[in-house]
Amino acid sequence: MKQKISKSILRVDSRKKLRGEAEYISDWSFDNLLYAKTIRSEKPKAKILSIEIPEIPDGYFIVDKNDVPGANRMRTVVSDHPLFAEDDVQYIGQPILLVVGPDREIIYSIASKIKITYEEEEALFTLEDAIEKSTVFTDYNYKKEDPEKAFENADQIFEDTFSTGYQEHVYLEPNGIAAEMKDDTLFVYGSMQCPFYVKGALLEAMDLPEDKIRVVQSVTGGAFGGKEEFPSLNGCHVAVATKKIGLPVMMIYDRDEDVMCSTKRHPSKTHIKAALDKNNHIVALDIDIMLNAGAYNGLSPVVLQRAIFSATNVYNIKHLNVRGRNYMTNSLPSGAYRGFGAPQSLFALEMLFHNIAIKLGLDPLEYKMQHILKQGDPTCTGGQVREKVVLPEIVEKIVKNSDYYTKLKNNKKYQGIGISLFLHGCGFTGKGETMINGKIILVKKGDSVTLKVSSVEMGQGAETALRKIVAETIEIPIENVIYEKVDTGLIPDSGPTVASRTTMIVGGLLRDTALEMKKRWDEDSFELSKRYEHPKYLSWDDEHFKGDCYPVHSWGANVAEVDIDPVTYELTIKKIYAVYDVGVPIDERALIGQMEGGIAQGVGWASIEVMESREGKLVHGNLTDYKIPTSMDAAEIECDFVLNPYEFGPFGAKCAGELSFVGSPPAVAEAVANAIGKPINHLPIKPETLLEKNDAC
Amino acid sequence: MVDGIRPDNLHEALNILAKQECTVMAGGTDLMVQRARGFALAPKFDKPLLFIDHLEELKKIYVEGDQIHMGACAVLTDIVENEIVPKVFRDMIQKMASPPTRNMATLAGNVCNASPAGDTLPYLYAVDAKIVLQNAKSSRTVSMDEFIVGLKKTCLKADELVTDIIIPNKVYEYNYYRKLGQRKGMSLTKASMLGLADVQDGKVVDIRIALGSVSAKIVHSTDIDNKLKNRTVKELNEDVSRILADYDMLIKPIDDARSTAKYRNVVSLRMIKDFIESLNQ
Amino acid sequence: MRVEFTLNDKAIKIDVDAGRRLLDLLRDDLGMKSVKEGCGEGECGACVVLVNGRSVNSCMLPAGAVIGKSVVTLEGFKHTERYKAIEKGYLKAGSVQCGFCTPGFVISTESLLNANPNPTDEEIKEGLSGNLCRCTGYNMIIKGVRMAMEIGEGLW
Repeated sequence: MKQKISKSILRVDSRKKLRGEAEYISDWSFDNLLYAKTIRSEKPKAKILSIEIPEIPDGYFIVDKNDVPGANRMRTVVSDHPLFAEDDVQYIGQPILLVVGPDREIIYSIASKIKITYEEEEALFTLEDAIEKSTVFTDYNYKKEDPEKAFENADQIFEDTFSTGYQEHVYLEPNGIAAEMKDDTLFVYGSMQCPFYVKGALLEAMDLPEDKIRVVQSVTGGAFGGKEEFPSLNGCHVAVATKKIGLPVMMIYDRDEDVMCSTKRHPSKTHIKAALDKNNHIVALDIDIMLNAGAYNGLSPVVLQRAIFSATNVYNIKHLNVRGRNYMTNSLPSGAYRGFGAPQSLFALEMLFHNIAIKLGLDPLEYKMQHILKQGDPTCTGGQVREKVVLPEIVEKIVKNSDYYTKLKNNKKYQGIGISLFLHGCGFTGKGETMINGKIILVKKGDSVTLKVSSVEMGQGAETALRKIVAETIEIPIENVIYEKVDTGLIPDSGPTVASRTTMIVGGLLRDTALEMKKRWDEDSFELSKRYEHPKYLSWDDEHFKGDCYPVHSWGANVAEVDIDPVTYELTIKKIYAVYDVGVPIDERALIGQMEGGIAQGVGWASIEVMESREGKLVHGNLTDYKIPTSMDAAEIECDFVLNPYEFGPFGAKCAGELSFVGSPPAVAEAVANAIGKPINHLPIKPETLLEKNDAC
Repeated sequence: MVDGIRPDNLHEALNILAKQECTVMAGGTDLMVQRARGFALAPKFDKPLLFIDHLEELKKIYVEGDQIHMGACAVLTDIVENEIVPKVFRDMIQKMASPPTRNMATLAGNVCNASPAGDTLPYLYAVDAKIVLQNAKSSRTVSMDEFIVGLKKTCLKADELVTDIIIPNKVYEYNYYRKLGQRKGMSLTKASMLGLADVQDGKVVDIRIALGSVSAKIVHSTDIDNKLKNRTVKELNEDVSRILADYDMLIKPIDDARSTAKYRNVVSLRMIKDFIESLNQ
Repeated sequence: MRVEFTLNDKAIKIDVDAGRRLLDLLRDDLGMKSVKEGCGEGECGACVVLVNGRSVNSCMLPAGAVIGKSVVTLEGFKHTERYKAIEKGYLKAGSVQCGFCTPGFVISTESLLNANPNPTDEEIKEGLSGNLCRCTGYNMIIKGVRMAMEIGEGLW
């Protein structure tokens, strides 16, 4: 039965956006505003021999490494990316310096006259080259039980290799950021997911005390991970410029610059070996995941962690050996993108199950179901699946909704149906939440409550969901719940807006605090705050990767129906069915909006979103060449839910944002494999590849 | 800062061109992007802009005798919405770019861009369209083959304007058009194929085949068209591998960001075969 | 070049570079911030405005080409009955997420319904195919247009 909290309300931010009144950073105005343009490396790997700057008119400035007051490094998980290049460059597009001034025409003219002389060095371009040369940034490994012995005793061994390509976020608002000094305080404003990440980066780069830096989020036109760590880079750029010059500085990327220089989903290669017993049951897996991190490691280690901890997906595999490596190449740094490494490994494992089942003449779905995790089973890292597992109900529902078996039986050549099963670990990996130790504040004044959090609205509906959680808890109208401006000077650090953690973790803290507030509702004004506490029963050993890497999981299944044109091999994704366990939906329409959007991005990654790099330069470096789905490409989507309330989530809610992405790529791939009767081990699936496959038979 | 000139009529526009070199601006959809320089910056033009988008003389679409005239500055939407234009041509245009772009882009712009991916071109080649060019003193009429002299090159002189594009007022019985893009909406063409035919009593009395994006120019051979004419559908089907071999000689596709030479080649031939097979015996 | 045109029913006279993008003329010179730059190459539709009642990409239109024409942006359009129907439809359907593409979609919806008051789903998809959205997967926007058609029946 539908719960009251799930009943949809109007999003609080949509009217303003509809009327074109929402102010994105490029709509802001400042007095005496200067604009900045980044001069970037044109070489994939080189020493910088000299930089010739033309004569600069009054009021124009060059800002570079020498102007950084603190450390010339972008602070993130591995702080290896220089804010401005020093003596060398490691990828095409690496920032070297800024040209700053009041008139964009003159900036452009100065920029076009800057001459940089390089001494080129031998560069590494592809993941394959990097693997061959072993340019490993990070190497993780974990084991469960005794995989060596399991492979020795195996009845059959299957081996397969899978790979996936780049993906660009294409948030509709390109990156934009601005900074100004007000008295002696530095303000940075912009399109971002994680104001406190930007603040942390500024603390190291600017050599200013903590209370002299404020980061303010502007209305953010989409992010999907693409504005997770990246604004720490451009944020420091404008901050250094404004500190040097003393006037406000704004830097808006145009789309080409954004596509060419911002982070991407990691290209991947995954090699899997499976040991089967005499009953065809998979008893052991040896999984080797390799990601192309690009020129700097940055955030990639944690992406790799989620990739390896998602490697067994929804399956209970007794013996495991999982290895993950990030490789350095001289290409633009890869980074956060919805799913965060999990889509790559989930695709590989789902296709492995499919390929084995087909080879053994078994029904792939039944084969998968024989391996699924149950409540109480150990997770891949030896933690425990504590939640009730409703995957059988999910599968029953999706099989019925999609009429899966009838369509599978009637499979004609060039028509296919495919199914994927998946989960997503909710919130940060491992000790992440404990380390962040997020804090929220609720302030009551008269009839209204102000909620202070650092979770941002970036399109996903966080503002509506969080206000709704507080309003429904206290039983007051949502209009009486005020969402404090996301300004690090006014709000506590409740953690970044990432990892599908906002509703469950931050919303959970708000719910608990609002319950306390409700008890004292007759008091006129008071403030409550709360910090995150990790459930006591969870344990995590970060060194050996042992224990509960996630507090709980959300689960799902997707079914895809596809057609392939027999003449041209063009792929049409006709329909996607989806069923999810996200605990309890906080707002059904908003949730479906998230799920449909994530599915569409997943479908894009699996099909038309081709992004390749040649000699370190993107071949598909603008929106004319890199294609995301249009309304004419949109598949019909039917979403459904199985309720499964989570004790520690607000109103029983778990995570959803990334779960939406991970299922559609393997479902589409299996549907295509069924349509052509050949395995699909690589994404994206291009008509050009289908032609090659067809010719091969 | 670039100058702009907005003449009141065609005569005035041609007189301006007689005196000075200008960049002619009709819809702007190609030029503005080709010359774009980045966020909030005006595209760079080195010659004055001569605006002709508003000239009524150049926007008319009408039938005269057995011909249809389409003014150079008729925007694509005007052509799509005009029922006197053969449906297959309108359908082809409907598959170009997107509604806001089709509301600005002109037919002449697509022709003058002389790109092998120009989506109006296969039709104009196939039906032997005529392009009317005018300068202040005279006018001349050329065929598509004469007009487009190479990749992105035309015979248009600096003092001339394309004023009119003329196609026969004829509807074919068989109209086959496939445009392959990287996606379904708003895509540049990686390969396209147009087939037009009339069949009487199992005999092909007229047939035209044109291919886009598989060579420096549109692939259209009047010789092959004539060779296929006056044969039965059955004969064409029996002879299809030879016909495809003829086209294989003409197709010279490339690898680029959008597709591969191999895919373009194979699929173009498969579409021709599919077209021939679609003719009713 | 002296450019004279009407913007949201008001007469505008301004001297600008003839090749200046209408987008910049509207945003930077005339303060029409509802018009967004998403790509600058006619691919995304965030900068779509109405010129003589039809949608156009303002990033591809030179200033000199709007002389004598009527330009409408959301700043003007939001006061119309048609806008109100679109707003209600979009709100009800949940068509808005990050909002950056939204002004362009609203204008394209108006242009579509103005030309074809009763589009089929396929025609709606075609009519909106010049506007990219990365948040919704489009189904909720298509639904928003359908709801706007019902709410605003007779307005187009």
